[in-house]
Amino acid sequence: MNSLWWAQIKAVIHLEFKKTLFARRGLWIYVLAALPVLLYVAFAFAVGNRQHHSERIAHRGEKQLTYQDLSAVRTGMKKDEVIALLGKPPVADHWTEERPVVGGPNVKVAHEEYHYSDGRSDLNIGIADGNVDYINLSSSNDLGQDSVMFAGVFQFFFLRLAIFFGCLGIFMNLFRGEVLDRSLHFYFLAPIRRDVLMVGKFLAGLLATCVIFLTSEILQTCAYLWHYTAAEQDLYLYHNHGLEHAAIYAGVTLLACLGYGSFFLVAGMLFRNPIAPAAVALIWEAINPFLPAVLKQFSIIYYLKSLCPVEIPVAPGTSPLFALLISNSDPISAPVAIIGILLVSAVALYISSLQVRRMEVNYTTE
Amino acid sequence: MSDQITFEDVSKFYGEILGVNRVSLSIPSGITSLVGPNGSGKTTLMNLMTGLVRPSRGQIRVLGYKTDDPENLFKIVGYSTQFDAFPKGLTGFQFLYSYLRLSGADSATCERLSWQAIERVNLGEAAHRNVAAYSKGMRQRIRLAQALAHDPKVLVLDEPLNGLDPLARSEMIALFRAAAAQGCYVIISSHILHEVDVISDQVVLLSNGYVVAEGQIQTVRNEIQEHPTQIMIRCNRPRELAAKMFTSEHAIEVSIHKDERGLLLKTRDADRFYLALNELALNGIEIESIAPADDDVLSVYEYLIGNEEVVR
Repeated sequence: MNSLWWAQIKAVIHLEFKKTLFARRGLWIYVLAALPVLLYVAFAFAVGNRQHHSERIAHRGEKQLTYQDLSAVRTGMKKDEVIALLGKPPVADHWTEERPVVGGPNVKVAHEEYHYSDGRSDLNIGIADGNVDYINLSSSNDLGQDSVMFAGVFQFFFLRLAIFFGCLGIFMNLFRGEVLDRSLHFYFLAPIRRDVLMVGKFLAGLLATCVIFLTSEILQTCAYLWHYTAAEQDLYLYHNHGLEHAAIYAGVTLLACLGYGSFFLVAGMLFRNPIAPAAVALIWEAINPFLPAVLKQFSIIYYLKSLCPVEIPVAPGTSPLFALLISNSDPISAPVAIIGILLVSAVALYISSLQVRRMEVNYTTE
Repeated sequence: MSDQITFEDVSKFYGEILGVNRVSLSIPSGITSLVGPNGSGKTTLMNLMTGLVRPSRGQIRVLGYKTDDPENLFKIVGYSTQFDAFPKGLTGFQFLYSYLRLSGADSATCERLSWQAIERVNLGEAAHRNVAAYSKGMRQRIRLAQALAHDPKVLVLDEPLNGLDPLARSEMIALFRAAAAQGCYVIISSHILHEVDVISDQVVLLSNGYVVAEGQIQTVRNEIQEHPTQIMIRCNRPRELAAKMFTSEHAIEVSIHKDERGLLLKTRDADRFYLALNELALNGIEIESIAPADDDVLSVYEYLIGNEEVVR
């Protein structure tokens, strides 16, 4: 690339970046990007409230309990054994059940429910007729569980919907928007190669989407870790691949903007109505897990899914169709996935460069 | 580098709608006006010349450059379009500066050229106002400034005087003439014929997508054989002169002007008539002036296209 082209590309980016980032018709893209952040903020508030409740229960208990104490309770244990182990329950409910018996009078069963907490984890014990009937030990701070939740939101909302539609809104309008605003001639009357103009506009769009969605991704990570203690955050980030995962998610976000961006750039040049290609692409991406291996390669989500750091486990009993949708049945290595996206983008940009040279300024037919 | 703007058998169709058809033209330097009513193909011809639309057939060269080579073409071409839309949020200065920056020039050069262009169209005071807040005339002027900003060799101006007040019109006409005098190719489209008469060195007459005639207006007029040349003679005794004119074999129709201070004469051979006039105008008739009465664009257009299409 010679220095003139680079100077021209910088001029296009300078003009386009602000316009793309602050376009009034692109406000909904910010909403899409902000939704997962809001979800994690709400989640952090909910977990915070629950922790507060747990701390109050722990405070009211007879003993200072640990997680090991709570997990020592087993079904079938006697009520007295539980009290001996954990102390008198700080919160307890009781009720009586009249259980019908065939051929005889109803039997009365005394039920009790004890709530214990170590301040972080809650233990609910169901006691029937003096014996432990069921146990429910739950923790508000389960990083393993939360990272799966993060992976689910990232794959099924952030990649497939937020970035997909965000790129649609930004990249499809790079040239279509100019045609609709009747201002494309401004660029076409300048001494700049059409393909150089296209590259400048694409990079401006890429920069704008990366700013929006990488900011969202970083905020999501912050919001998702918000309710953890500093020690837990430190442990997760620096000793449990947390930082590495965050960097990989950022990289996947960037590659998603690149892949979907180049696709929607060429779609915006080839189609007047963006709804049709967007719908086809959305369906194609959605049915990707069900496609034969050869066809899967002509999809962006196929490569992105393979790059995601956390595999979403399929719960036992999930229907095979749904399980196929969740799991990545045909993963590929990270280098192949990255090269795949770069190739898809390169093909899309090549088609765009051919198309932009053929474009005419003919607003009356729009 | 070729020294002409050439169209070789160029046609442009928008689907089934004809833009221009079988146009072959050579446009030299100076002011050339594209004349025709709305829809005659003036803007299409200009858009073809600047590569905004591609010809369905034929080839166009602008001083040797192909029109699908914007990187080189727009170094020598400036186009003031009729499209009344601008990139959003820019002031007049930013509009010109951004346009110039697209050429890859450095910031200082672009700033200097922007201010020069702004001064040339007298928009200095409004330069830092948003273009969206400009009046129609100001928007016209900033478009002209955009076309002029990089000092192009070829100026393509689509209805450049629309929306301008009389003072601004005369300033712009002076500007076009100065550019033409420096050897520029100034191509102007207009449907206001008396305006074209004043400024053009040559005209291209268009009707329904076809070039009806091209060249210097007097040459075009002389080629129209079926309409006799009209000559206006101002004199002190028009009736007496009219009587004498009837005896001339070159005059085919003579009428007294309504102000009774001259007569209008039609002849098929103007040159021979002028020679004969000296003999006829003896006997004390004082001739004040003799001038062709129908070698203007309006008359030529009427002869070639018909009254109904002429926009006065």
